[in-house]
Amino acid sequence: MNFKFHHKRITGMLAVLPAREASFIDEMRNFNFPVSRSLKLKEVMGYDKHRLVEPGVCVSDLAVHGLQRLFDAGLLQPSEIDALLLVTQCPDYFMPPTSNIIQGRLNLKQDMLCLDINQGCAGFVIGLLQAFLLLEQECIRKVVLVNADVMSRKTSTKDRNSYPLIGDAASITIVERDAEDSLIHANLRMDGTRNEALMIPAGGFRLPSSAETAVLEDVGDNNFRGKDHLRMDGSAVFNFVQVEVPPMVEDLLALAGKRHEDVDYYAFHQPNKFMLQKLADKMKIPYAKMPMNVVERFGNSSGVTIPLAIVSNLAGQVTKERLFMCLAGFGVGLTWSSMLMPLGQLNFCEIVDYT
Amino acid sequence: MNDFCVKLADILDVAEVKESDLLTGFSTWDSLSVLSIIAMLDSKYGLNVTAADLRNVGTVGDLWNLIQRKQRA
Repeated sequence: MNFKFHHKRITGMLAVLPAREASFIDEMRNFNFPVSRSLKLKEVMGYDKHRLVEPGVCVSDLAVHGLQRLFDAGLLQPSEIDALLLVTQCPDYFMPPTSNIIQGRLNLKQDMLCLDINQGCAGFVIGLLQAFLLLEQECIRKVVLVNADVMSRKTSTKDRNSYPLIGDAASITIVERDAEDSLIHANLRMDGTRNEALMIPAGGFRLPSSAETAVLEDVGDNNFRGKDHLRMDGSAVFNFVQVEVPPMVEDLLALAGKRHEDVDYYAFHQPNKFMLQKLADKMKIPYAKMPMNVVERFGNSSGVTIPLAIVSNLAGQVTKERLFMCLAGFGVGLTWSSMLMPLGQLNFCEIVDYT
Repeated sequence: MNDFCVKLADILDVAEVKESDLLTGFSTWDSLSVLSIIAMLDSKYGLNVTAADLRNVGTVGDLWNLIQRKQRA
């Protein structure tokens, strides 16, 4: 489905990264593979450093840290927040919603909307869509979109398919009405028949966590994980992305009457360097226009990777000029979504560490 | 097929591959090689081949035949 929005803009972005940095080289010995193959994997996929929370750190901890930082710096007033959207797959609890926990910890006003959205790698685009819809209401003038995940806590350290690329992070994006028209186009598709490609099998009501679901199983290819852990069918996800994402983006460009030359940067979800290079090749996008370094510097933090790609690569530009951006998220659900939007003259665009 | 064999040898980190070689016989036949082959078939031949397709393939020659079949389909 296709969306069109007017008079909306992002006015600030902050990424929150756990201070603890792990390196693939140190972790290779956890994997039951020849060192030469692991080094090849590192080179091809772009694995290097990734940021991981300390045990016990939750999504609300990262979010509260980042929001408090904005309050302290005078970049955001608590009373201005009319809606707090939290996109996460790692809630503090099943109930209450983690967005309410954040609201409570920061003593935000009662006259506001708190909403958790369960989404992953497409979660930034989905969150923006929701923010834009809310801003159609007069009573909502400022939406705070928080993307946050601490998926390392649900990833087996002995699963080379997932662990080296996972990163924990949060981002805070301020979305407001814009006096300028700022036409934004977006499209979205979902396919629940392929929901098993990315999942955590146990821990919900269908299969509660137990001693049995915690047991590490040999899942083939020398990888070990439990049913409590993230399961990612890497090659199926690769097929999905290569087949679905390029036509989606081409459709959106056609819909908006734009050409690739009109796009300054492609801020895509960051699954790994390999997949992004293949996408760029297929769509004939110059690598210089598509940041691909988030996984090697920070890890893949699902819905946080698009803001992280922008904040860590384009901060100097988006605080000054207005860029024309193409965003694309794709992953769990399965869900794939893209967006064409002007982005720039941000009030802030930075990274803080969480310690 | 020559070009294909060169690319496959490169992915599998060996000097050369022969038509009769079993894919699972290579010490470098792992998830990274499978993914690299899927990507190569997509970029060089425009084919969407899955890991499940590759599991049913025995030898290098069988893989070449799969490509021919998929290209005709």
